[in-house]
Amino acid sequence: MADKKTLLRVAEILIDELKLEDVTPETFDPEVDLIDELGIDSMDLTTVVLVLQDEYGITIDEDDYPKLKNVKLIADYIEQKLKEK
Amino acid sequence: MNVKHAKKETADTGKGGMKFSDIIADPVVRERWEKVRRWFFLRESTYDMTNRCNIRCDGCYYYEGEKQFARENNNPDDWRALMESEKKRGITYVVLAGAEPSLVPELCQACYDVIPLGSIASNGFKRIPESVGYKIHISVWGNDESSLRIRNAKNLLAKQIENYRNDPRAVWVYTFTRENIGEIYEVMEMLSKNGCRATFNMFSAPVGYTGTLRHDGETLARTRKTMMDILAKYPDNVLYSPYNVVAHTHRLGLHDLYACSYPRMNPSTDIGLGRSFRQYHADLSWDRSISCCVPDTDCVDCRHYASGSAVVTARLYRHATDPTAFKAWLDYVDTYLAVWVMGYEKGKNLLDQMTPLPGHEL
Repeated sequence: MADKKTLLRVAEILIDELKLEDVTPETFDPEVDLIDELGIDSMDLTTVVLVLQDEYGITIDEDDYPKLKNVKLIADYIEQKLKEK
Repeated sequence: MNVKHAKKETADTGKGGMKFSDIIADPVVRERWEKVRRWFFLRESTYDMTNRCNIRCDGCYYYEGEKQFARENNNPDDWRALMESEKKRGITYVVLAGAEPSLVPELCQACYDVIPLGSIASNGFKRIPESVGYKIHISVWGNDESSLRIRNAKNLLAKQIENYRNDPRAVWVYTFTRENIGEIYEVMEMLSKNGCRATFNMFSAPVGYTGTLRHDGETLARTRKTMMDILAKYPDNVLYSPYNVVAHTHRLGLHDLYACSYPRMNPSTDIGLGRSFRQYHADLSWDRSISCCVPDTDCVDCRHYASGSAVVTARLYRHATDPTAFKAWLDYVDTYLAVWVMGYEKGKNLLDQMTPLPGHEL
């Protein structure tokens, strides 16, 4: 399970980059499906990925995009990548 | 190259590149990035409106394969209902294409009333009412002599200009074939004198095509040089960029260069076009296995402008590795939006020279 700080930061990046309204990092449901429920598409996701790569100094392979379905899974993915560094 | 290899190459080019935040720190780049990213909400699908056309062209993709035999649905209420259901599943942009949408203006109107962003591919012979506020892509396949020979259409360019001069919806799409490369000079002179705007397409052979229009290495190189020349000569009338030139005149087709993301070549339904794109026939049916923007085109030979608009744009990640590659991508996306979206105005190209695709030679 990812650290709360990572969860909040991922949520914050999503809110900022996708200009989501009526939600804060604290109220962002970490298990809401970004594609099915928020309607995020590949261009949005790529934008978020580019910001996450900068923020955490990791590389996110395009093949891994389908794994990044919600905030929790993204945070888990980031922490796993940081461990592998 | 297959899809898997292309994706791997994309990932590798992403490693060790500049930070994205550094690339967009340049105010000019950031401004263009913010301009184009506002349109990332566009989700397209395409629709054959009718089986009929008022001309018949050599190499027309519509009259290949089974789709031409679909029974027409001419009921505007059915089209309106389809658009409502498309809207519900997230489609925000429609492309009305085969065979000739201007022959069914009431169906175009039904689509526009529900989904107001889109474009229509037309030969321009018959004017589409102004109440249909989509972009209109008017096809040009050489000068009037060539049009008469290939399309059996007399005085086509003059008729197109008469119908669409000063119409902000209109973009002339000049398709370069192996036989009409030099004719662009004459056509562009006429278009520019009438204040018309044009973009470029490349003839992309349908599956099994045996005619004379298919490009080879020599004509690709000549087309590249001609496009750059015309772009320099008519900067106010041509919607294109040097990176468009590179992407569409490369010896490899778009699929080999960028890994086509349309369902026909992309088995993944996780996200993006593979998930949302559909290509409807005139009877409102669709089949994922053959869905792409130019069905029945030979994918190896595909350099089609519609395909590139989606496929190159989708490869943001691959281009976000250094400032030059990213500027090239921004020029491409800025061009695509100006060609396809009503009210979007193209900016000055950030690069005035050709630059190679990441991971490829020029």
